[in-house]
Amino acid sequence: MAGRTIVVTSGKGGVGKTTTVANLGTTLAKKKNSVVLIDTDIGLRNLDVVMGLENRIVYNLVDIIEGKCRKEQAMIRDRKLSNLCMIPAAQTREKNSITEEQMKELCSNLAEEFDYVIIDCPAGIEQGFKNAIAGADTALVVTTPEVSAIRDADRVIGLLEAALVRNINLIINRLNARMVKKGDMMSTEDIIALLSVPLLGVVPESEDVVVSTNRGVPLVHDRSSKAGAAFRGMAGRLDGESIPLDGDAGGLLGRMKRLIWN
Amino acid sequence: MSSAMAPIQIKADRAGFLLIPDPEASFEAVMAFLEERLEQSHDFFHNTEMVLDLRKSPMGSDEISALCTRLHQKSMVRIVEVRLGEEVSFAVAGAPERKRVAPEAGRRHEESAPVIVRNTCRSGVRVVSASDCVVLGDVNPGAEIIAGGDVIVYGTLRGVAHAGVGGDQSARIWALSFEPNQIRIAELVAVPPRGCKPGRGRFEIAEIRNGVIQVVSL
Ligand SMILES: Nc1ncnc2c1ncn2[C@@H]1O[C@H](COP(=O)(O)OP(=O)(O)OP(=O)(O)O)[C@@H](O)[C@H]1O
Ligand SMILES: [Mg+2]
Repeated sequence: MAGRTIVVTSGKGGVGKTTTVANLGTTLAKKKNSVVLIDTDIGLRNLDVVMGLENRIVYNLVDIIEGKCRKEQAMIRDRKLSNLCMIPAAQTREKNSITEEQMKELCSNLAEEFDYVIIDCPAGIEQGFKNAIAGADTALVVTTPEVSAIRDADRVIGLLEAALVRNINLIINRLNARMVKKGDMMSTEDIIALLSVPLLGVVPESEDVVVSTNRGVPLVHDRSSKAGAAFRGMAGRLDGESIPLDGDAGGLLGRMKRLIWN
Repeated sequence: MSSAMAPIQIKADRAGFLLIPDPEASFEAVMAFLEERLEQSHDFFHNTEMVLDLRKSPMGSDEISALCTRLHQKSMVRIVEVRLGEEVSFAVAGAPERKRVAPEAGRRHEESAPVIVRNTCRSGVRVVSASDCVVLGDVNPGAEIIAGGDVIVYGTLRGVAHAGVGGDQSARIWALSFEPNQIRIAELVAVPPRGCKPGRGRFEIAEIRNGVIQVVSL
């Protein structure tokens, strides 16, 4: 059976796509799935840094597509998990060096071999975005509780729907429960009401994320981190486990139930 | 090949081309046939406007958008209108405004069919109707609904709505919940006062009274 191809996208930059890819991928691999991560942010690659694999890069995504290497040669194996690997983006190439057709073919080839193919999408809605979503059957749209990020997420959801990506799920990152309580930040309920796509999970604002990014060790390895727990919950839900959202979402109303991941 | 057997017929119409899918044909067959037809006909259909006639064979909204996207990619063909029934059709979001005769100020345009949109209008979507426009869903911030007549939203209006674009001061904007960025009726513009959260669950109407836009509950 072919594996799943999942793109993590957002529209707005810097909302946590790369962090999400690294942490979901690591958790899914810990659950004994074979996982490959693809960084499609050509020219601005950083998944390798978050995964702590920067110094092992020889070949990259564009090299595979241009036939300069076999895809196995460009895959870098994780330091801890042997069933997790990543394909880095090219740092010194143009976004237009690959096409949607080429990405589709690569994704379907990888899905034959791996349980999960997870694609880190660049910010924006231009060619890089189109390439990243071309081969995906599921999209995870990341937003923060800010009006501008939500507006961009809405735009991206419209584009995903038009591109016939059927499974679209929402991840809310950097939620600050204290600010929501004070009414200074949009709540989870408000965001779901506006975007009307099922919620996969909510990640709190946390210093742990920054620390783990800088160390190059994905957060989910840290058992004590709340943000790490949120990512583990999402990975479990993706993997078909029924994990209630309440723990990481902070009290969702009953009327939202129909919009929640099932 | 007889055209009666084709999965989709392409008919010339005064306004442009009319696409009529066969109710028996699968969506895949329709797409494959269109692709082949455009390929064979070289530039004949290049840069033309077409009307998709679904009166006999319904299609899902994602199929419609896949078809529109493909035709546009392949030959710059624009589907400018989708006909769903005798009185029901909608202009395609993002399609250029049709070259209709500009509505005369103060006159209602009840003779042309209303545009009906059957899903949520997300940021970046622009829907234009020569007469009324009905949205069966929400209008999100960043979306624009523009109508010669009324704008009716069976959902929450959070984006921009412009009723009576041609200058019809009697046009109105209806919504189940009003939280718009901005509303316009004829040449007037209104921005809702900050922090006003209206009651949900019943229609509210924006209309021109005494020369200003006012929102009233039904
Ligand atoms: N939950 C969080 N709490 C605190 N900081 C966070 C959180 N999530 C992400 N960050 C920080 O935000 C920054 C941007 O994150 P990330 O690189 O994952 O975003 P991105 O969407 O991939 O950005 P780009 O669009 O540039 O690719 C990083 O410095 C990261 O450490
Ligand atoms: Mg990134």
